[in-house]
Amino acid sequence: MKREKINIELKQLSVGYEQPGEASLEVLKDINFTAAPGEMVALIGSNGIGKSTLLRTIAAFQPALSGDIQISARSLNTLNPREIARIMSFVSTETIRIPNLSVFDLVAYGRFPYTNWIGMLADEDKAIVYEAIEKVGLNELARKPVMQISDGERQRAMIARALAQDTPVIILDEPTAYLDVSNKYEIFHLLQILAGEKKKTIVLSTHDLNIALREVDKLWIVTETGNYQGAPEDAVLQGWLNQMFKNEHIGFDEKEGEFFFRKNFKAKVKVEGEGLPLIWTLRALNRKGYQIVMQAEPDFRIIARENRWILISAEEENEFQTIYQLLTFLG
Amino acid sequence: MNTLQTNRSRPDALLFIGLGILLVIFFIADLLFGSIIIPVKQVFFAFFPSSATSDSFRTIVLEFRLPKALTAVFTGAALSLSGLQMQTVFRNPLAGPYVLGISAGATLGVALFVLGFSSAFAFGIFSSTGAWSLALVAWAGSFLVMLLILYVSARVNDIMTLLILGILFTSAVTAVVSILQYFSSESMLKAFVIWTMGSLGSVTKSQLMVLAPAILAGTFLAFLKIKDLNAFLLGEDYARSLGVSIKISRVIIFLSTSLMAGTITAFCGPIGFIGIAVPHICRVIFKTANHLVLVPAVILTGSIVMLFSDIVSQLPGMQTTLPINSVTALIGIPVIIWMIVKNRKFVSV
Repeated sequence: MKREKINIELKQLSVGYEQPGEASLEVLKDINFTAAPGEMVALIGSNGIGKSTLLRTIAAFQPALSGDIQISARSLNTLNPREIARIMSFVSTETIRIPNLSVFDLVAYGRFPYTNWIGMLADEDKAIVYEAIEKVGLNELARKPVMQISDGERQRAMIARALAQDTPVIILDEPTAYLDVSNKYEIFHLLQILAGEKKKTIVLSTHDLNIALREVDKLWIVTETGNYQGAPEDAVLQGWLNQMFKNEHIGFDEKEGEFFFRKNFKAKVKVEGEGLPLIWTLRALNRKGYQIVMQAEPDFRIIARENRWILISAEEENEFQTIYQLLTFLG
Repeated sequence: MNTLQTNRSRPDALLFIGLGILLVIFFIADLLFGSIIIPVKQVFFAFFPSSATSDSFRTIVLEFRLPKALTAVFTGAALSLSGLQMQTVFRNPLAGPYVLGISAGATLGVALFVLGFSSAFAFGIFSSTGAWSLALVAWAGSFLVMLLILYVSARVNDIMTLLILGILFTSAVTAVVSILQYFSSESMLKAFVIWTMGSLGSVTKSQLMVLAPAILAGTFLAFLKIKDLNAFLLGEDYARSLGVSIKISRVIIFLSTSLMAGTITAFCGPIGFIGIAVPHICRVIFKTANHLVLVPAVILTGSIVMLFSDIVSQLPGMQTTLPINSVTALIGIPVIIWMIVKNRKFVSV
């Protein structure tokens, strides 16, 4: 067995805000997380619990209240801004809107910690910038102004900038916020490739839990009652995900591997059928708040066939061509 | 793969050469035009002591027009560069050299001196050594504000706090000045109002010896921080993550701006508009966000605009001159309106 290499280690970390003349406001405490090279880690937790505060503390934007942050076996406190910039890059949720700035210029910001006092790019720097642009698939757009590219493309450009900074650690605060579903998947996929190929440690916070569960190597979970870390599958088996939300309407379906809304069931229904029509009929009924039963006595039955749904209740029998018609009839 | 860089640098070089030529033309024109018509040949002869030209012509050219033209160059460059720095650091297209409250400090100094103390002391002292004493009190006022800004900016993290403090301070000073104006005599009021209109012509040769080094020092600091200014465009979080020491960098940039804007206000009065407009003009001309290009560009463009304003304010061939502050506004506002209509995006930094 290979001994686990560690790139980020949070020891008894407590984060929050100093308040002059008052006790400091502690947002999260007792954080003991680690991340290894080549790992993509998702920091998850309910809204407002302090994910951004934790990431900002790791990125050295604000001091920790207590505890220690070790990056590449060096305590963050002992590093100056220039040294930190060569170890860790950061991508925030802020949208960059600078007129006259091309994608190349934006990515070239990544070379900032390495260039001379006027920021002149050496040939080597330019090669690194172009490599980063190619990695995120923006070759065609290198000369385009950042104001004229889409949100997904801009987010990829920001990731390319972090790549060009050539740091062993990349921190991203909600990189998939404001993106459409296909772009969300693309960003996760891209980050995973980067983590694997370049052996970088990538830490990101996200609310796209269902995607994160399928794509990341490790979860850092912060909850009101405690903080946990482990593979997404461990998190499921240990029941940590159910602790994330105080809101009792949201639960985690351990079998489906997805979060769902808890609903009060309207009626019991038994569904017969097979294949995809059965699966999606069950989904539709679930969405509408019907309890699916196998053994118990149902209020009504549905037989799902291809393009044909038959509803059988005590009083009547109806046939429908689409699920929509079936649901409309049920009300 | 380097086409991108070379494609950019050629038009930039041409534009810089063009601006350089314009600067020389306007500088010469500023020497040629004035309330007294001096033949072109005589103006050139004035620079050579052995040549045959009348002493009065030589005095006018060397003692008045040359210092004034040089002052115009320094003023345009300093205010434009200050404005660029403030727009970038505050990431606000409406920021200008006076956003920190520098001119308010200078105004307070002058107001206290002209409207307050002069009434208690002999007004004669003010008029005999007038130019120097006005500059000194204005400088003292802006210097105090500068110390205050540097003190606060080294301690406050949030840039918006600084912006709000600057605005509040300016409003407070306006209130104090109004009170002083209310209680002062007509002649004192006129002296003060004339100072607020700005003037390039009151700067003497010996004052240039103070003004020039101060502006050069501020410009030097601005050049040192070109790279950090670029980083500030991304916002402070990104700047920090790129390795910029935010507070140190901010203090140096504020020092540069206060030094330049404070000195110009002290010697020439609060000259408006140039500092806000010129950076925008340069962004449109050069189509870049890179301060390595923008810093020299605003220095050249600012100087040219100021020289042009000065030429217009003298109303060539006429005996009177217009207040420079009105001229900069009247020339510049149409330019800005034209640019807004033509290019809607220009207002963002």
